Amino acid sequence: MTDHDLSRALEALLFMSPEPLGLVSLCELTESAPGPVQRALALLAERHGAASGLEVAEVAGGWALRTRPELAPVCDRLRARPPDERLSPAALETLAVIAYLEPVSRPDISRLRGVSADTTVASLLERGMIEEAGRSQEGGAMRYRTTPAFQERFGLKGPGDLPAITEFELTGDEAEAVRRRLRDAGHLADELA
Amino acid sequence: MSAPLRVADPLRLPLELELFEGPLDLLLTLVLREEIELAELPLRELVAVTLDEGNGWDPPTVGELVLLLCSLAEIKARRLVGEDDDGEFGPDPDAELVRERLAAQLIAFAPFQRAGVWLRSRDGIDGAVRYRRAPLDFPGRALARHQPDELAEFLRRLMIAPPTPSLRHMNRHRVNVGEIVAELRGRLKRSGQVSFEDVTIGGDRLAHGMTLIACLELARRGEARLAQPVPFGDITVHRAAAVR
Repeated sequence: MTDHDLSRALEALLFMSPEPLGLVSLCELTESAPGPVQRALALLAERHGAASGLEVAEVAGGWALRTRPELAPVCDRLRARPPDERLSPAALETLAVIAYLEPVSRPDISRLRGVSADTTVASLLERGMIEEAGRSQEGGAMRYRTTPAFQERFGLKGPGDLPAITEFELTGDEAEAVRRRLRDAGHLADELA
Repeated sequence: MSAPLRVADPLRLPLELELFEGPLDLLLTLVLREEIELAELPLRELVAVTLDEGNGWDPPTVGELVLLLCSLAEIKARRLVGEDDDGEFGPDPDAELVRERLAAQLIAFAPFQRAGVWLRSRDGIDGAVRYRRAPLDFPGRALARHQPDELAEFLRRLMIAPPTPSLRHMNRHRVNVGEIVAELRGRLKRSGQVSFEDVTIGGDRLAHGMTLIACLELARRGEARLAQPVPFGDITVHRAAAVR
């Protein structure tokens, strides 16, 4: 099978599949080696450039054929229901905690956030953004991890496809600004004494 | 009738506490002069004693008391976190420790807050990509499992009329006032008078009630006259003279 024929076969498979297809699945379905499949995927992605209504994306541990972002309004007219509801800032922060620390338990999330995470975790479970990941060997609270639906929604290639958490850490000046704000709010004793 | 509300000066309220005994205004003065250590004054006990003493007072006095107690609680809270009564801070190692812990927690959580903002920038709502969601197995295979004659059999069962529900458990006894009036008229025509007890003998409470209504209806129309010599005794229905 030539690369061109293989890319046509992959296009048909990605069009048919309701979920992203991993490289292993694509190799099995097309009875091809990983190298040719990867070349054919690149060829397919090239064919679905800016002029196309679809694009090839590596997401949630596989490859998917999806609509281009600028066509979302016209695509949504086809749906009986509006797209997924927005996530609140609290839900996004909780998702970030779980995505970086998974598997992580609800008490650990609450301890890190400083407030109860019960309602937020329940809401994320209901929306399919997270799922149960079992308990630790010592027992204890249920732990949670993110789902492929989470990776699809945020365009992540897989569970670990996140920027390093160190990129988000506060600099020394920013940390000092936090302390200063606390002092201004009446929580500090030393400087004004 | 409830006791009249007392009007009194809450500042003169006598208190008996472990730490202090005397009027409330003296306690406040000693606290402000720092002759009594506010941190050691049990506010809960003070509030309980004050409310017990203030039972039955008029609303303005009670309001003034609540205001005084709230002020005392505020002064105590300020001193506990290292602030003096005028809002200035004083050195307090405990407050500093609490502040440091809070700052540490905020700084530790800040990366995840920023990661949340990063996620929001990639959230697939506005101008986002859309995925094909049709499951591969629906609906063709599910319907193909059944043959047309099987489906016809299912439909045939649905078209069979269900059995008529039984109403045997329901009370089907009916009493018609018109029929009772007609029967009473017949008896009066034959004998000139009838006994209420004779007419209703063997009948239930419903029959008794409807017969009484029929008797009253005949009396209202002037066809009969009712007589009951003793309370709760038998009623005799006489045919009216005009009818006769």
